[in-house]
Amino acid sequence: MTAIASTSITSPSPVRALGSYARLELTRAARNRRYLMFGIGFPVVFYLLYTGVLQGKAASPSDPAFQSFFLVSMAAYGMVGAALTTAVPIAQERAMGWTRQLRITPLPSAAWVATKLVVAYLTALPAVGLVSLVAVVVNHVSLAPATWVQLVTGLAFGVIPFAAFGLLLGFTFDPGSAQGAVTLTYLATSILGGLWAPVSTFPDGLATIARIMPTYHLANLGWTAVDGRGVDPVDVLVIAGYAIVAFALVAWRYRSAEQRARA
Amino acid sequence: MTSLSLPTPAAAGRPVESPQGATAVSFDRVSRRYGPTVALDAIDLRIGAGETVALLGPNGAGKSTAISLMLGLLEPSAGGVSVLGREPRAAVRSGRVGAMLQESGLPALARVRELVELVRNLSPRPMGTVDVLRRAGLTALAGRRTETLSSGEQQRVRFALAIAGNPDLLFLDEPTVAMDVESRHAFWADMRSFAEEGRTILFATHYLEEADQVASRIVVLDRGRIVADGTASQIKAATRGRRRIAFRTDSTDGAVYRALPAVTAVALRGDGAVLETTDSDATARALFASDLAIRDVEISGPDLEDAFLALIADGA
Repeated sequence: MTAIASTSITSPSPVRALGSYARLELTRAARNRRYLMFGIGFPVVFYLLYTGVLQGKAASPSDPAFQSFFLVSMAAYGMVGAALTTAVPIAQERAMGWTRQLRITPLPSAAWVATKLVVAYLTALPAVGLVSLVAVVVNHVSLAPATWVQLVTGLAFGVIPFAAFGLLLGFTFDPGSAQGAVTLTYLATSILGGLWAPVSTFPDGLATIARIMPTYHLANLGWTAVDGRGVDPVDVLVIAGYAIVAFALVAWRYRSAEQRARA
Repeated sequence: MTSLSLPTPAAAGRPVESPQGATAVSFDRVSRRYGPTVALDAIDLRIGAGETVALLGPNGAGKSTAISLMLGLLEPSAGGVSVLGREPRAAVRSGRVGAMLQESGLPALARVRELVELVRNLSPRPMGTVDVLRRAGLTALAGRRTETLSSGEQQRVRFALAIAGNPDLLFLDEPTVAMDVESRHAFWADMRSFAEEGRTILFATHYLEEADQVASRIVVLDRGRIVADGTASQIKAATRGRRRIAFRTDSTDGAVYRALPAVTAVALRGDGAVLETTDSDATARALFASDLAIRDVEISGPDLEDAFLALIADGA
């Protein structure tokens, strides 16, 4: 049987196979209300609330500098929310055996992990586009093209470790507690990272904590852009460090799950 | 599942049938332990290409463990498992193995057709989408979201995903558990046509009727060991109390019946008796030759259920 059949097998192109899986996952994300809410709805609404509705009621929200500062904050907030929310479907799929069903298809399990990472990353990107669009259209925020490029590429780079954080939460929590874990992580890291109130207003101790948060360095990649400063290498290094650790943890969790089968 | 389907162009495009005697699955003294619990105990098993085999046994007999080992979802604690001539995971990666596992859910927010397309795109020589949907009775449900399906419909989707890669070897773990009688019959009718295309099918069940009617071979597992392996009739024959002779009579002296040749047990009732015998011909001949007044004689073989219970009791 082997000899005869194996000669006639042409493996499906890995690109087609993975592309097909990634496409399905992105389609499912686009149908996921939780993702649309956390990754797109909330950041846009909060941006409008803080910079528009509150305009005139406080000194800072109507300030153009605040509008672009908060554009970065809310873009980062939405990106983090979207990337972390990927944990919920992962926890569900693990619990109900869909992950196991995929393991008995020719999809290599490493490819499953890679696809989940890529999808978590891609679902994080719409937030920066939408918040920017609203900032331009509603608040008439005006930035130089080079600033936009630095802002968008900075945030797109900075969100990389969060895709891996989303996977780790999904590997760690069961479906009942995954959403809670995501929300808690999301809120705590965004507040401590200075996305809601600038770190410059933090007391010293809290400011020190803020500067070790990945959310702070993610957002700072955008804040430096709107402030007309160059990229701070510290932000790049810290994000790269978080990314390396998070990817290593994903690989380790994934391997130990594989080895459990051999116990 | 809806009606049967004839072999289709997609099926005809499968590789040439395997030569007689090729091995689809082999277990070489395979054990699997979970901590101190022994789920499988030094099993030897060979399943030939094209066979339809039932793994029969009570809950906890080791059926699901055996299937997980064949799929590479578990590794044996000792011994070797080979599937289609290679290591199980390599066989799965080759796309020639399909499986329908117990309690495997479907992801939400996906349409039936999208899931079928996914498995097809992951497989080297898939079955056509139209064909998969038709065989699984899902043509009308192709555009539905998985979360809107009934449990019976979800079961059909899981079957569709098992066959979408056009497998040579199909594993089904308790496939009809959630089905009503009608769906169950339709399902097995489909499965027979699938087997007639030369595919190897191995299914776990605790429904004796299914094993009896669908499988060409039955492997009975109990507490991690194979306690019987053969056709349904061989298994029936291998058990004690091979025949029962029941009749009406007025003579209720048990000792008389016990003295008849080959009788192993006598049960007296108000108006008759039931004899268990290892040689119904000899017993019946002696019974008729005697001057006992008997009428309404019935000789029956044990059904598979008796055989099954006897096998499991033997192991106790």
